[in-house]
Amino acid sequence: MRWKCLCVASLLAALLPAGMARAESPRQVLVLYENNRLLPANVEGDRGLNRVIAGFGSPVEVSAEFLDYPRFGGEDYVRTISTYLREKYHEHPPAVVVAGGNGALAFLLRNRQELFPGAPLVHMGVDKPFIDGLKLPGDAYGVPVRYDPAGTVAQALRWHPRATRLVVITGAAPPDRAWVPLLQQELEPFKGRVDGIDFWSGLTTHEVMERLAALGADTVIFTPGYFMDGAGKTFTPREAAALIAGAATAPVYGPYNTFIGTGVVGGRVPTFEAMGETAGRIVNHLLEGRAVATLGLPLAMPTTLSVDWRQIKRWGIKESDVPGDALVQFRSPGLWDQYRYQALSVLAVVMLQSMLVAILLIERRRRRMAELSVDKHRFELAHASRLAVAGELTASIAHEINQPLGAILSNVAAASLILESGAMQPEELRQILEDIRRDDVRASDVIRQLRKLFEKHEVERTAVDLNEAAVEMAIVLRAEAKRRRVELVVREASGDVGVIGDRIQIQQVLINLVLNAMDAVAEQREGQRIVTVAVTKADDTAAVEVSDTGHGIREEDRAKLFDSFFSTKAAGIGLGLSIVRTLVESHGGRVWAENRAGGGAVFRVELPAAQGIRRLEVA
Amino acid sequence: MITKPMVHVIDDDESLRTALLRLLNGSGFEATGYRSTGDFLLRHPPDRHGCVLLDIRMPGGPSGLELNAVLKEQGIHLPVVFMTGHADVASSVAAMKGGAVDYLEKPIAPQALLDAIGRALARDAAARGARQERAELKTAFASLSQRERQVFDLIVEGKLNKQIAAALGVAERTVKAQRASVLAKLGVSSVAELGRLAERLRSLGDGRQ
Repeated sequence: MRWKCLCVASLLAALLPAGMARAESPRQVLVLYENNRLLPANVEGDRGLNRVIAGFGSPVEVSAEFLDYPRFGGEDYVRTISTYLREKYHEHPPAVVVAGGNGALAFLLRNRQELFPGAPLVHMGVDKPFIDGLKLPGDAYGVPVRYDPAGTVAQALRWHPRATRLVVITGAAPPDRAWVPLLQQELEPFKGRVDGIDFWSGLTTHEVMERLAALGADTVIFTPGYFMDGAGKTFTPREAAALIAGAATAPVYGPYNTFIGTGVVGGRVPTFEAMGETAGRIVNHLLEGRAVATLGLPLAMPTTLSVDWRQIKRWGIKESDVPGDALVQFRSPGLWDQYRYQALSVLAVVMLQSMLVAILLIERRRRRMAELSVDKHRFELAHASRLAVAGELTASIAHEINQPLGAILSNVAAASLILESGAMQPEELRQILEDIRRDDVRASDVIRQLRKLFEKHEVERTAVDLNEAAVEMAIVLRAEAKRRRVELVVREASGDVGVIGDRIQIQQVLINLVLNAMDAVAEQREGQRIVTVAVTKADDTAAVEVSDTGHGIREEDRAKLFDSFFSTKAAGIGLGLSIVRTLVESHGGRVWAENRAGGGAVFRVELPAAQGIRRLEVA
Repeated sequence: MITKPMVHVIDDDESLRTALLRLLNGSGFEATGYRSTGDFLLRHPPDRHGCVLLDIRMPGGPSGLELNAVLKEQGIHLPVVFMTGHADVASSVAAMKGGAVDYLEKPIAPQALLDAIGRALARDAAARGARQERAELKTAFASLSQRERQVFDLIVEGKLNKQIAAALGVAERTVKAQRASVLAKLGVSSVAELGRLAERLRSLGDGRQ
């Protein structure tokens, strides 16, 4: 154990900086405050002082003592406290003593030589008028405080232009009473500005409260607070100011920055922290043994306009009337000030989202336009394909129309012959006319049927019966089948086979499939060329099968069968089946091809059955 | 009574068929309609002066072109006028090769139809005349005796009676009698006519083979 301790100690000694190791005991600084420990002025001053001294190169111990004036006082008390200080600091005499406040300076001036001989004196928070009334020794340093009641009141009257009355509240303790002549002198210039200046000096707090309640809004109150009221009750000036500000119906101003936050509007004040810092710099200088004069200290602590933002708002003082160099405290930041980054983030997110939404909307619109365009192209293509079919059907169409036209011509000629012969055959002529009419109707039917199929039309969604579609397709292709000597068989399903779709496009699907099947059977012998169109219906699908007796589909062609520009025919451009698939898929259906067991191919189209419509019709 | 030329109308379109029959009957023909070529063949048309009006594209049964061949096989000689809904080179060439006398595109103007029918009938009449003459000629030639045929051949070769008598080893007078018999049997009055007849017989392929 012993060895280990020795080791640690020597290690520490080796590690410690040489300077620290040499300074066997830290330098002592004693700060003696006039008032008690918790006085806000002392707390602030102490903070400034200690911060600066802590920056000193070597260790300094700062002790603080409090005279607790004015609660305690009297010759006995001074004697006792002197004895206490002498005994306490006998072993560790301070290198520098600091006096905080008028009373502390007075105490030290009187007792320093006895208590701390040789220690230079630094003062802080001491009033300039007080200093001016003293004869300071050469080793006493410090920047006195010059409170600025006149500047404060001038500022207050600028902010409250309608104020006609000035109330000054002071207390009953000696330092409180010391304010009265000072203030009387300082505020003298405002006698012309306001109707009257009332000094409420040494009143009981109770009375102060009552009087305050009776004050009008045309008043401005100035108070340095007080340590003791007329009833002998002790306060810190800050507490007194808080009481006054709380009860007042008029704005309250004060000379100390510690009043900010108690309900006082503010004032032109020196800050106690700055006082502490200045004293600290002097102490450091003295500890280093340098001349204080080199610090270039000001003659008095500067004052700044210090305000409580909440009070500025409360008394309706315009923000633009607050000077830019004013120290504003308790500025309740707006949502913007408080949550600037959050707000910016939220705003950015909202904007990003808005942009995203906008982009998505634009994209959606573009997609819809593109879809419309695709629809349009599909529509155009389907139409072009129908026209191509029309070209293919020219021969049979011509036949379909020429048959009735030829019959009409022959009938007319026959009728002429009858009339020329002079034979009276009215019955025969009537029959001829009837036949002519019928043939005319037949020719125009063919044309109407074809026009319906080949003209451009608006794509509709209506209930279409696949049976009907198959029959109509057969009417269109009847002549073509005949021309090609193909047997075209249509097998209807029993009952309606309703789908929702475009009648023309569904017919086109059937026509393309049947023409394809007719091509497939072309190489078969006559009598073996059979194309069967069968309509079937399951629960939720309606189907059409187009089967042929052709050569079937080669396995390698199956995958490409429905592709555009794929054709196994010499003259085909390969759009027929591609359009079939496009149209079927646009109807929510599917189409595929297989080889039949007995030879030939079968193309099957499945479309969603129009259940709802059917039910509606049934109901 | 002179029988009217017979026109067979084959078209599956009833309306057109009826109209055509009406027109042809009104124009002095005896027109009959058939729904298909098969129908026509089953009805065994008589070999009478006439013609066939046929739609080149007929569903079921033999096609118009096939019909031509079948008719020839059956010894029915009828010229065929084709009708088509849509004339294309391939079908018109095929029709002409198949022996079509005419080719009409629908819709057929009545006058064009009647002209075509007229041409077909004229052709039929000519063919029928030629067949008739040939048949008669063959019959007459068949009626010649062995000796008379020898005399006929030698006359056609341009031999004189004396030369023929010498070649056959008979008297010149006998040859003269046989020569008169040949002229009478063949219905000619001079040796020049006989020469022309011989030419015709040769072109028809006389019955000596």
